[in-house]
Amino acid sequence: MITLPNECLFEILYNLKDYRRSLYSCLLVNRQWCRNVVPILWSELDVFKNKALVKTCLLMLNTEEQALLIPFNIMLPNNSKPLFEYTTYVTDINIDSVDGIINWLYHEKQEFHYSWSTVTKIIKHSLTLMLLRTSVKLKYLSVRGKAVNLLEKILIKSTSLSSLTFSRNELLPEDIKALAKTLCILVFRNVILVM
Amino acid sequence: MDNGTSNSASENETITLKSCDGIEFHIDARIANRYTLLNNWNGGESACIPNVNGKVLEKVLEWCEHHINDPQLNCGDDDSRRRNTIIEEWDENFLSCDQDMLFEIILAANYLEIKPLLDLGCKTVANMMKSKSPEEIRSAFNIDNDYTPEEEEQFRKENEWAEDY
Repeated sequence: MITLPNECLFEILYNLKDYRRSLYSCLLVNRQWCRNVVPILWSELDVFKNKALVKTCLLMLNTEEQALLIPFNIMLPNNSKPLFEYTTYVTDINIDSVDGIINWLYHEKQEFHYSWSTVTKIIKHSLTLMLLRTSVKLKYLSVRGKAVNLLEKILIKSTSLSSLTFSRNELLPEDIKALAKTLCILVFRNVILVM
Repeated sequence: MDNGTSNSASENETITLKSCDGIEFHIDARIANRYTLLNNWNGGESACIPNVNGKVLEKVLEWCEHHINDPQLNCGDDDSRRRNTIIEEWDENFLSCDQDMLFEIILAANYLEIKPLLDLGCKTVANMMKSKSPEEIRSAFNIDNDYTPEEEEQFRKENEWAEDY
């Protein structure tokens, strides 16, 4: 049997980009396949949509991001550190549905003294910080709902970004004002803004 | 390669290619011209292709001849080109060879930088993997599993989100 070099294997696997179940099978074939699949599988994420994805992402929070969750009594998963720094491969992030966070909380039977929406929000906040900190290849970011306080501080650092989309953004005039400086810098870097 | 010479190739011109095992092929010069597949070609009448044997080179050239009048692909749109997994009937028949030959064609297309044939071979293999379990893929392609059981389990858990995405 002929062994294909990595460059050919990557080309083959890239064809399965839209077939995540198939990519998942390929990832479990062996180590060489895994190394080639991870960058493809993790390139485009709708992060908060799926509870298992939320769980893996929670393993990647740093101490500061974890600290945000402590006052809310949120029990983080105690699995070992992930085998890859998966989110460094992310190029497209869509911050939209928070169903995955809600499902994760529900599945873990977490108990807390705050409203679900407060807890969901803080987890979303913490995960977004982690994603924007680690996704060094980020090109497209699409944000639905409010995330002004995050964006203001972090977007400046994301030098690879080429497109930023706000949808149903609920941005108030004062939010836009707060973001103005950041957005100006992004426009100066030729980032495409869709609001 | 001397582009001035190669660009002037016309329909009737032929050149001779020699595979690594010494088999000669007389081909339309436009093929060599189009795929710039002859890094060793100096624009003369013959060229040697190291690394590709006669059996494989014959298949590769058959493909090139069939596609000689295809429009040139726009290489800029890599992502959508690679994500389109549809294969034409002629190409499908052409690649319904044994697996070793399919892999040899991919390697040759990669080596000779025949991008459309490389894409086609890769798509064909990718389609063979769709809806298969890891075990089925391993046995179809005769691949050894070098994961430790613990490692495999951890990768399974960390990526299981992809299963119901």
